[in-house]
Amino acid sequence: MTREQLRQLVAEWLAAGKAVIGPVRVKPGTVLYTRLASADALLLGGWVRPANSIKEAVFPRHEVLYSYRVEGNGIELVDPAEEAREQIVIGAHPCDAAAWPILDKLFDWDYRDEQYHRRRAATTVVTMACTEHDEHCFCTSVGLGPEAERGSDAMLVEGGGEFQVRTLTEKGGALFAGCASAGGTACATTATTVAALFDPQRVAGFAREHFDDPFWRQHALACLGCGACAYTCPVCHCFDIVDEGNARGGVRARNWDACQFPMFTLHASGHNPRHAQGDRQRQRIYHKFYLYPEKFGEILCTGCGNCARNCPAGLGVLPLVSEIRDAEPVQA
Amino acid sequence: MSGGAGTSGSSAAASLAAGASGSAASGGATSERGPGSGATSGAGVGGATGTSGARTGSGSVASGGAGASGSTGSGAGANRGTGTSGGAVSENGAFEPKIVAFVCNWCTYLGADLAGTARLEYPPNVRILRLPCTGRIDTNLVVKAFETGADAVLVSGCHPGDCHYTAGNYHARRRWMLFRHLLEVVGFDMRRIQFTWISAAEGRKFQQVITDITEQTRALGPYRPYDGAAQPAGLPDAGAVADGREPASTPAAAAETALRETAARLLSAGTVKVVIGYGANGPVFVTSAADVSRLVWNGRSRANLTTYLKRPEVRALGRPAIVVKGCDERALVVLEKESQVDRKDVHVIGMACAGMGQPKCAACDTLQPRFADETIPAGAGPEETRGADRYAAVESLLRMPPDERLAFWTAEFDRCLKCYACRQVCPLCYCERCLADKNRPQAIDTSPHRKGNFAWHLSRAIHLAGRCVGCDECTRVCPAGIDLRLLNLALAQTAETEFGYRAGMDRAAEPPVGAYSLQDKEEFIR
Repeated sequence: MTREQLRQLVAEWLAAGKAVIGPVRVKPGTVLYTRLASADALLLGGWVRPANSIKEAVFPRHEVLYSYRVEGNGIELVDPAEEAREQIVIGAHPCDAAAWPILDKLFDWDYRDEQYHRRRAATTVVTMACTEHDEHCFCTSVGLGPEAERGSDAMLVEGGGEFQVRTLTEKGGALFAGCASAGGTACATTATTVAALFDPQRVAGFAREHFDDPFWRQHALACLGCGACAYTCPVCHCFDIVDEGNARGGVRARNWDACQFPMFTLHASGHNPRHAQGDRQRQRIYHKFYLYPEKFGEILCTGCGNCARNCPAGLGVLPLVSEIRDAEPVQA
Repeated sequence: MSGGAGTSGSSAAASLAAGASGSAASGGATSERGPGSGATSGAGVGGATGTSGARTGSGSVASGGAGASGSTGSGAGANRGTGTSGGAVSENGAFEPKIVAFVCNWCTYLGADLAGTARLEYPPNVRILRLPCTGRIDTNLVVKAFETGADAVLVSGCHPGDCHYTAGNYHARRRWMLFRHLLEVVGFDMRRIQFTWISAAEGRKFQQVITDITEQTRALGPYRPYDGAAQPAGLPDAGAVADGREPASTPAAAAETALRETAARLLSAGTVKVVIGYGANGPVFVTSAADVSRLVWNGRSRANLTTYLKRPEVRALGRPAIVVKGCDERALVVLEKESQVDRKDVHVIGMACAGMGQPKCAACDTLQPRFADETIPAGAGPEETRGADRYAAVESLLRMPPDERLAFWTAEFDRCLKCYACRQVCPLCYCERCLADKNRPQAIDTSPHRKGNFAWHLSRAIHLAGRCVGCDECTRVCPAGIDLRLLNLALAQTAETEFGYRAGMDRAAEPPVGAYSLQDKEEFIR
């Protein structure tokens, strides 16, 4: 289908009352995945890399878990409404979509997070195979690629000014039912080629053996301790539980949190086990390449490069891991 | 009404505000109608306790239903726990505004007391919170008051010359000039914030002020936070003003070589232990003369590196040399003034700059560093000044109607993720524990929802009032593209036009916050 036909289809989804999320230029210089107000707002074509990820569609930055009301001597707990609105994510990158199967494992492990899974079931992801990439991309280093299909319900491959639709799941098929090329797979791919830059196994190996290495503190000197990397990461999922309200009523809510904040591990005693910023940077790499794979069998990184793109100080997974790659032969 | 709520509300009030015995402040006024309703109606509006107060039967003059138990307001108050609903409603269905008055202990509180003992009648809509002095009233308390359901806020203290702490009211007056300009730029309805001087002898003035504010607020209707602000009418071009010039048109290569030579000299002589400078991808910390080739100087040398002087890991490296542009250097001046940096302990390498293509560069008048220990290129020519009006972006924002401004900021703040990159990158945000991280009590909601985001950004901005040097790092690093520089600019504008002060320009000048002048404007004070 052509761009205009795709836009028309998006307009139909919107008209049918579905929530549609896609890349939008919210202001000059800022592109974000956002709820579309109209199909015209959707950015199509060229290098479109929103600063954020699509995780917010299933794991919002702020989410009410339940509310409470105090009446006399009684306390009433109120669960949030159960229905999750049908939503469609369009124009996601394969590295964004691949994050969700990784997150599914976490949200259905020792406790099944119903709110997450309800939203997940109500969401259809349409990815766009990448025709371009930038210096921050490294999806092929973590086992993905510009047309990796993992997590996508349908994938659009642009070629010759048209999109070819690859439907990958029933949900994806339902969206594009009736479209001429639906179901087709053969297409002269225009996908970009990203060179593999490092071996995640070796990163895990380095992490395992260099917990106390001065490397971490040296290479985190520029880190300012903000959460820009974690909050724009498609798979970072740490959260904080807060109570907001007063003696008569309020909510218990879940907000994103990030391991780069000193407050993240600060004990009530005042002791902080991750005392220096280097310890926190180490935790980020550890979690992604060593701890999560050990527990769930896969790397907690999709190679999107958002961390480095958004870092005020030019850090991120790729810069740090490249240092490990370059440093390791010397160390070993 | 809910008795339980009333009880908790009044105990909170007792600890926070109305601790004094015989505080007939507003009780006196209502006692003619409802003798049993005396006491005080000082409701703890969560300024410090986080609980929104329900008043305990403070009569019902306005609603007409007198009587000992006539607590018309508390039922409605109980529904306002989260501060999202607006407007209490009286028994007859009329809107009853809730006015929160932050008053000083020595003048206005006694003025209110006098109004009570003199049996002067005034509306029971006011909740009085007594603080030692207007100089002690944190602007965050005002934000909190609105969050928890106030429809209007009054701040009132001693007349000029009357302050029992000599000058607290002068400090307050100055701080309020800044805060009011910030609120104006955000598009807040300024009719909901009043400032008055009421002495202990002015019971009548207190009566009149409360009556007027109540009536005015009644006419305005309930305060609905950030309501009707869902769709911005269109983003102003403010802030999008690009420099238009290619960054760093100076012979950057020569400057880069000179910089590396300087760094090598300093490191090998042992003058400094580390050179904090720009690298190819971000800041670098060069500790050996052999590594100076890691230093670069080009059109992407945008970061303000002075922020690293506050980081303990960097301090641990030993005496630093730091690479600054003329604009970055202003932060050093402020840090020195605030005793955060001792210039003797820092070697400053100034880089003459031709602009980095950022909006701030269009109006830059500090292309040439002025206080550096050495400047590259050495003996660079006279300071060039760009002609653009540095406050043009604020002016264009102020030309929008207030509700459009509010819509603009609502759209901006709605994108905030609370990643705190703005705070972390700021050279002047050096508190060991930020107000936003304090949770006993929770001063600012940590949630990245609209309420929490407004509270955070207003707080961030006001804490930088008269201090921000306009390096715009907060704006550069924001992943959501929020135009934070406009808030900083607004406050810088007030500091310059009202107090003739520009942060970081003059090492000897007295900062506007923490000082005062008897000539400060007070046309906004009744």
